[in-house]
Amino acid sequence: MSSIEFRKDLFADERDDTLKEIGKPTIRQDILGHVTGRSPYFDDHLFDGLLHMRCVRSPHHHARIRSIDTSAADRMPGVRRVIRPEDVPNNLNTLLSLINFGKDDEALLQGKKVAYVGEPVVAIIAETERQARDAVAVVRVDYEVLPHVLDVEEALEPNAPVVSETYPNNTFDYHDLYDHQKLRFGDVDKGFAEADHIVEGRYQMSPIEQAPTETCGAIAAPETNNRFVCYTSTQALFFSLGTTAKLLNMPSSQLHFIGGTVGGGFGGKVDSLHEPLAVLGSKLTGAPVKFTFDRAEEMQVGAPRGAERWFIKDGVMNDGRIVARQFTGFFDSGAYTRLSSYAIIKGTGHLPGPYSIPNVASNVYCVYTNRTPATAMRGFGITGVDFSIECHMDKVAETVRMNPIELRILNSYRDGDMKAHRRLAKNTALIECCQVAAGKAKWPISADAAAQSSLQGGGGDRAIIPETVTDQAGRIGERRRSKIPTAPGEGATSKGRVAAGSSVAPIVAVPPQRDDMVIDPSRTGHRKAGAGPAVPPVQATPQAPPRYTPPTPAAPVQTIPSYTPPPAAPVVQPSQPAPAVQPPAPEPYQPSEPFQKGIKRPGVSRFISGTRRR
Amino acid sequence: MLTVETFDTLVQAASAMTPQSRYLGGGTLVMRGVNYGDQSFQRIVRVKDRSLREIRSEGGRIVIGAGATMANVMAASETAFLANVARQVGGPAVRNMATVGGNLFAEHPYGDFTTALLALDATVRLSDGSEQPIESFLSSRSSMRGLVASVSVPRPMGDEFRFRKVSRVKPKGVSVMSIAVWLPRQGGRISQARIAFGAMGATPLRAKSAEQALDGVNLDAQGIERALSVATTGLNPTDDSLASAWYRNEVAPVHLRRVLLGEESR
Repeated sequence: MSSIEFRKDLFADERDDTLKEIGKPTIRQDILGHVTGRSPYFDDHLFDGLLHMRCVRSPHHHARIRSIDTSAADRMPGVRRVIRPEDVPNNLNTLLSLINFGKDDEALLQGKKVAYVGEPVVAIIAETERQARDAVAVVRVDYEVLPHVLDVEEALEPNAPVVSETYPNNTFDYHDLYDHQKLRFGDVDKGFAEADHIVEGRYQMSPIEQAPTETCGAIAAPETNNRFVCYTSTQALFFSLGTTAKLLNMPSSQLHFIGGTVGGGFGGKVDSLHEPLAVLGSKLTGAPVKFTFDRAEEMQVGAPRGAERWFIKDGVMNDGRIVARQFTGFFDSGAYTRLSSYAIIKGTGHLPGPYSIPNVASNVYCVYTNRTPATAMRGFGITGVDFSIECHMDKVAETVRMNPIELRILNSYRDGDMKAHRRLAKNTALIECCQVAAGKAKWPISADAAAQSSLQGGGGDRAIIPETVTDQAGRIGERRRSKIPTAPGEGATSKGRVAAGSSVAPIVAVPPQRDDMVIDPSRTGHRKAGAGPAVPPVQATPQAPPRYTPPTPAAPVQTIPSYTPPPAAPVVQPSQPAPAVQPPAPEPYQPSEPFQKGIKRPGVSRFISGTRRR
Repeated sequence: MLTVETFDTLVQAASAMTPQSRYLGGGTLVMRGVNYGDQSFQRIVRVKDRSLREIRSEGGRIVIGAGATMANVMAASETAFLANVARQVGGPAVRNMATVGGNLFAEHPYGDFTTALLALDATVRLSDGSEQPIESFLSSRSSMRGLVASVSVPRPMGDEFRFRKVSRVKPKGVSVMSIAVWLPRQGGRISQARIAFGAMGATPLRAKSAEQALDGVNLDAQGIERALSVATTGLNPTDDSLASAWYRNEVAPVHLRRVLLGEESR
């Protein structure tokens, strides 16, 4: 018996409930293997003559590498190969370059300047893991220790140490324009002036390690036809494959990646650090190579959910209405960009939380510090700011002496409301969630709050994009020259105004090109989503939420209906032409040299994967 | 490369020990070191002599062989008063392997059984036949040469001996601290109390100020008040991933009170 209770009655007219699985007890597809101990993990694949790889890692937060002496390691017993930074064919990458987001900033093996404790410098392949460890211990790296910065706000000071030369301002470059992600909706200053109370708060979250039971790792082995097979614990098989192809400058057709059971992931296994080194090791030795984190590495070097710091300032009326909300957010990306840059886009789209607030402004910074690079972890980009928002809602409730659940219901977004990132809210359910939670917790709420509904009271004036104040403070590099405030609008020399209802630069979604690309509602169980052959244009000011009309089935579409771009804008200030979420004019990755063939190995592989031959 | 050497007697093994050797008792710590790449040793030394596992009465004392496992301690009638201590070490698999001798060398935060031995004024007998009190043994164990053959403890009366392990994960969590007390009584009043704390320093340590404060008092809330106020004097906890030194110092008197008054832990 499931302990989850599904309140389907609340949205009975919106959702097709002929669902096969959701809401019903189900047996996990992989549970039989887990309980009988037969689920194959990457480390269960046995290879004759398997070699082991260990990394020499930086003991410093920040240091220039003067020289690397591996001569003693070369002579250690069992050592088969020492991989130095210059052995990596294309030794610079950023994870999201596969979707053309951000600049290459991270080396697979760092040969110039280490920027966090545990950054790999040299990889050593030996016949046993102990031999690899012993060889690692005798590598001599001459470091010139540099000043380091560990705090996000200190990293924004003009004289702060430069963590990454790719981003000399210690911030990710957003839209080639600003050192932070802007969100402007309405006029927060006007809202603060009107408000009866100003409520401010500072919230902070430490990094969180995903701590999987199975540490990250991969085994690579030569296969036939110059290919390499790679068994990996990755959560993102094709990320890992693409990243390996790029770093090793080899066509992906030479890479045979096999994923499968992930022994705990939670976002910590998307960074694709092991597969490139394991494949490179296999290529250089011609033998199967395993590269895996030990527990200490998993905790120290394995990328965590990044630290976040949020400042929230609310303008609140005596009756509890929040009329303005301003955010200043700092994501600690660590020394390099993994996924924090993207998490900020995601988080900004979420602001100001599930509430309808007429004036919202936000500056969010992706900051580089000399800490372990941060990556994905369940709901990253949202979790930290949601924690801050909900703490702050309680603080607001205390300030205006109001029932915190009623405060949430009062400010809750409703169907048809315009959200700060210029999308209409639909399928909202916060009011109903609050009502059910109050009932379950026996927390009294007023009859008025209990009578509210997400389906009513939204839209109308609440669907209009207000006149929006814009500014151009915080251009890339500006903060390096002089100290300027980080909060939205502060430090701006002039401000612009964008008329109400305007939203420049809509996201132009490509209409389905073939009728088999149109989502069949019976498969999603959701009548509204993608119900037509093309994305229906969103009404700018709908008087009522659009009702469902069943699509005409069968009849193949002969001509593609003309597509009207919706008046929705991405999460940038409207005066800027560059859309936020999808960078303009994507240029696919092109290696500076043409792809080269891998090592030649005629005939059948000597290594049979998957079974022990003896 | 690791090598393993097996000997028939403890004396032979002791003479073969070098700074690069590690003695394998049950292996619950040594093999973890091997698996996690501990580079501080190259040789593993083990002994086949099964008499090291014996538990027997000798005069007024109980002699526990260094090779006796926690499971052996729980099963033997002579050590019934220590069964509760042994049960709180690891899980069943660890208790089947972990030895009393190994526990004497287990580094922070392990060594709960040794904490109990310290409160009981145990005597440690080495392979060369010499004996030393457990307290001086613990203070010099890191530089010790030779191997432990057995430990002997007196048999406490009734509920004079009490032990409690404080951990965050139950039942198999590692100690935030462990507390062992031996409270001999004369005419209802405590005399010559022994209090030992585990995980409150590099080795299990005695809380001597608290012991003195208990001398001649009744075992009730008022009687132990002064002892609780000096409970952490002489202890030296450190920060680790389980708890900070500050936290350990703050909660130690609370847990000591619960042990002394026999209150349920919450």
